[in-house]
Amino acid sequence: MTYKWIGAVLVLVSCGGFGFTIASGYRREEQRLRQLLRALQYMECELQYHLTPLPDLCRQAAMETGGSVRDVLNKLARELESQIAPDVSSCMRAAIEDYQDFPKRFRRLMLQLGRTLGRFDLAGQIQGLQAVQASCMQEQKALEQNREMRLRSYRTLGLCAGAALAILFA
Amino acid sequence: MMCAWKELLAILPMRLRADVDKQGRENLQELRLRINAPPELVLTGKVSWLSGNVTQDELNFVVNTASRYSPWAASTAAQGYLTAPGGHRIGICGEAVCKDGNITGMRHISYLCIRVARDFPDLLKSLQRLEGSVLILGAPGWGKTTLLRCLIRQVAQEEAVSVVDERGELFPQGFLCGRRMDILTGCPKSAGIEMMLRTMGPACIAVDEITAAADCQALIQAVNCGVRLLATAHAGSSRDYCQRGVYRELVHQKIFDTLIVLHQDKSYHVERMTL
Repeated sequence: MTYKWIGAVLVLVSCGGFGFTIASGYRREEQRLRQLLRALQYMECELQYHLTPLPDLCRQAAMETGGSVRDVLNKLARELESQIAPDVSSCMRAAIEDYQDFPKRFRRLMLQLGRTLGRFDLAGQIQGLQAVQASCMQEQKALEQNREMRLRSYRTLGLCAGAALAILFA
Repeated sequence: MMCAWKELLAILPMRLRADVDKQGRENLQELRLRINAPPELVLTGKVSWLSGNVTQDELNFVVNTASRYSPWAASTAAQGYLTAPGGHRIGICGEAVCKDGNITGMRHISYLCIRVARDFPDLLKSLQRLEGSVLILGAPGWGKTTLLRCLIRQVAQEEAVSVVDERGELFPQGFLCGRRMDILTGCPKSAGIEMMLRTMGPACIAVDEITAAADCQALIQAVNCGVRLLATAHAGSSRDYCQRGVYRELVHQKIFDTLIVLHQDKSYHVERMTL
């Protein structure tokens, strides 16, 4: 009997945990988007007024933000300094290679940023950065919509699924 | 002879580095890269071709590495050239992007001309001290910039020289500077001369390649302020210089006292302006 109870509790906890993990994943993604947005805004200002070269710009933007965005920007700066890839896009691909856990939409944004950077004219460069910022805000908005309800649903669903499984196995 | 050779090799595509190093270390003047064509090495007195055609990726690589992946940061990129680390000048050609009649950038780069910057610190040892404003004349590739660099260095041992180096070619990192030298880079010559006059109190102002009427006006203003000039201009001889429309005011107002006329074999002779 005790084993049954222990088993039921374990199933409940693991299913509930799964629901909570999904919910926290969404929170992390939101936070990552906020970090990227902060870095993009910094890059735009810095470009407009100081014309900072890209490797330095990435390092400075990395200092202005945090988390995995900081790590990616620092890695991008190192890739650029090593002068091996033919363009920024290839450097960005190499920089995000190690971050396989990035969600698809975030990866897409980083690749869009890579294609944007290193353009020939400053006006085009700034327009490109603004376009990435707009995409970033759009993603952020999509995540924020009904956020509380959705996150609560994931948690509840996890717990309910766990309870249902525990009853079935009991 | 000094040359930032490592810096030059670092901006070249990997596959070209060994061959360029082998063939051009001592006497490479220009490296021309044309899309879908073999790379051309212009050496002293001869031309040599490397194997394999140049690709778009290779051209992009050169521009990106020379500008640290930031061609927009180089104010000269829209004028069709970049100055790479070590002072090497990269001429850019391809499909330009124009806005309101002005070139704002390049859409596709198809041709590059990399001119190797070399320095000869001992070149002027034999030359006696030159009085007044000095103008160096010569055709492209005859060594005007190299000679000007030496002259500036010599004068800057005794006088305060303000160098307006629009292209960042005269004294790139690693090249010897004179003792009393202030350098302004990345600024158009006319604006730079005015700025130096106001702020640095120079005894002498040095500029490379007078090409526009605005440059001439700024030089005249500098001389009127009692400043001596060191400059270079495109002309094959003193007569050629006097006949060119853009230099008319400089000739008319006798702005330069001494002309150093370069020859194709890199020798030169000195003339006093008597007009």
